[in-house]
Amino acid sequence: MFCPQCGASNPDGSAICIQCGRNLLPAAVPMPVQGVVLPLGQTVPNYLIFAILSTVFCCLPAGIPAIIFAAQVNGKLQAGDLAGALAASRNARTWCWVSFGIGLGSILIWLLLMALGIVNNLAHHY
Amino acid sequence: MNETRKRYLLAAAFLSGLTGLALLGLYDPARPGIFPPCPLRYFTGLYCPGCGSLRAIHQLLLGNVREAWALNPLTVMFLPFVSYGLVSEGLIHLRGRGLPQVFLPAIWIRALCAVVVLFGIVRNLPFHPFNLLAPGAPLHL
Repeated sequence: MFCPQCGASNPDGSAICIQCGRNLLPAAVPMPVQGVVLPLGQTVPNYLIFAILSTVFCCLPAGIPAIIFAAQVNGKLQAGDLAGALAASRNARTWCWVSFGIGLGSILIWLLLMALGIVNNLAHHY
Repeated sequence: MNETRKRYLLAAAFLSGLTGLALLGLYDPARPGIFPPCPLRYFTGLYCPGCGSLRAIHQLLLGNVREAWALNPLTVMFLPFVSYGLVSEGLIHLRGRGLPQVFLPAIWIRALCAVVVLFGIVRNLPFHPFNLLAPGAPLHL
């Protein structure tokens, strides 16, 4: 059978797609893999877009782990380790928020410093 | 989080994105004033991998692809993919299903991460050809 999400060819009766990790079982059957149940038609989010955005626009040191965990999500899915993929997915999301928080915090402090006139607004590189 | 609140948040994110784009189109971040200077650049003088992104998006909104490319080639290259991904994320929350996605093998994502970090390093090297990667460099040659 072919995966409806990525088109990869899977052995008949596979529980998850070998390539993208999508749940291939019919709706009536929830998928318990190592105690983890993935709703039908869903894959494990890797938050890659947010990881990249938070790396470039918010906080590079916290964004890099987010991208690494995004890679780990897909790596674990490729290896068929759904529980590991879900754990990596949670880590990726956490690091995205950490990076976003640090970025937002530093911008706010920065704006405050400028409003107080401690730094001037003459330098204009963004 | 309930559905209504989720939609409000999504609408707020969408509207602030749109406002940001409109501001970026109207005001050039290269001029002092409405956009604050980057703290990292201000304190260290270093370019991060994203340096020049806002100026590049401003130039793209004006249709100046060459100028945008000179400011940050990585931003120009990745912008279509990032935009597609963001639209897909929005659709997931709206209708429960995003746009068709290509599954990226883990090695590709690691390579992407390495490209971003390397780009951030080499664009700070003050000699040819790496100085061409600094924001706006080719325009001043």
